[in-house]
Amino acid sequence: MYLICGTVPKKDLPLTLGEVQFLGPVISLDGVEIPCTQGTAALISAACVTTGHFRLSPPRALLVGDDGTGKGSRVLYDYLIKNISALSPGVLLLHYMLPVMGLMKKVCESVSKAKKRPFMIADAAAMYAAKAAGLSASFDLFTPDLSEMAFLADPDAMHPAYVSRHLFESDASKIPELVAAAYRHKNAAKMLMVKGSTDYIAADGKIVGTISEPDVPTLEAIGGTGDTISGMAGAFIHGGFRPLDAAQWTFRANRMAGQYAGATPATRIREIIEALPRVFDEHLEGWKKTDKSS
Amino acid sequence: MVFGFTKKNNFEGGGLVLFTSVEEAIAAEKILKAAEYETKLVAPPPKLRKGCDLALEINLIEKTGVERMLRAKNLSFLEILPVKSGSELLQVVQVTDFGSAIMVKAGNMKLTFDSSSSVILNVSGGGCPDIPFLHAEMLDKRLAEAPRPRDVGYTLCSLMLDRAFVESLDIWSNGRK
Repeated sequence: MYLICGTVPKKDLPLTLGEVQFLGPVISLDGVEIPCTQGTAALISAACVTTGHFRLSPPRALLVGDDGTGKGSRVLYDYLIKNISALSPGVLLLHYMLPVMGLMKKVCESVSKAKKRPFMIADAAAMYAAKAAGLSASFDLFTPDLSEMAFLADPDAMHPAYVSRHLFESDASKIPELVAAAYRHKNAAKMLMVKGSTDYIAADGKIVGTISEPDVPTLEAIGGTGDTISGMAGAFIHGGFRPLDAAQWTFRANRMAGQYAGATPATRIREIIEALPRVFDEHLEGWKKTDKSS
Repeated sequence: MVFGFTKKNNFEGGGLVLFTSVEEAIAAEKILKAAEYETKLVAPPPKLRKGCDLALEINLIEKTGVERMLRAKNLSFLEILPVKSGSELLQVVQVTDFGSAIMVKAGNMKLTFDSSSSVILNVSGGGCPDIPFLHAEMLDKRLAEAPRPRDVGYTLCSLMLDRAFVESLDIWSNGRK
């Protein structure tokens, strides 16, 4: 099971667990429609399109409404602490939620009691909580952007808003140094997918891949283009592909989808996601053949 | 499958609200507790001490919501600081000019607006739960008509988005008026 957990901008949505579907303008969970916009909804949409391509079981989602007060997030944490061991997903992806270090620690403790440890992915504030609580090594994959990479590299920052100025001002050429610092301070997951003008893949402290083509600079401005990366990567791993292949194909597919969608700063994330099936149809087999690790 | 809501738990702390007087600190605790914020009255460490020697510890991540609540109740405070010494809120912003649009980045948040109309085209980055709400609230509005993130959001991500928003307004009003 590929389980995606997060909050959505639907304040009254109680904690809901079920299979999700991507319907274009919205995703559907247990009959509830949630707009496909920046955040966990975009992540789920990309995950659904990817699992759909491989005819895999669609992801299940554990979602709750939260407008930022953290009430919904705390319900989500509590549910995971009590039930994650029994749910026993193969891939567990934690996303938008108020970063509460103590609760993230309890979630990780509960995960450790599962018969089979899931492949653990954290992005967005779930990654902030994991890093701030010193739990990064419990995760298999983080998907930071450049500013979040600076946050992981800063041993003292508890949120990206408190990153040291010199780290925040690092440009993309400094990513290898930031990656090294994050691993040195034990603030990195086993694998990092660093999103930027050049995407970096790091594993166990070393840069193992970079992707910079096609170059679509406007992707950075579009809300949700990082979320689609996490959702796709989780789906590839759910499909049994190796993490390095999952990372490479994800980065390429996201860039290619941006190019196919003719991305401008005004493009909406749904347009990028809708271009993914064409990308998969036209390129995935070729990538599988050329990548040595497949 | 739907599950019910439960109450808050697990106090994280990490932020200190500093006051001029003890009375203000006690009144603030009352106001924030009534609004279901988790707080703790503490003595501020000597390094951070300003005003009186009673401070209110809050969950730092909730700084934006706490500030707004205290202002709404006309309760004066000196400032909100991280407990950890040496931590300073990022002040720097970075600007990217796409020609037809300008992207302003503050911390982990980016706001992109149309250079000829000031309409907000996209909000990206961040990870706290109020960001998707702000995304929906702000998109397709002109900068002058959009809500300020600090007036709607609750978290440090919304505070960073507010920085990007204020800088965008400044760029727009100075450069394109």
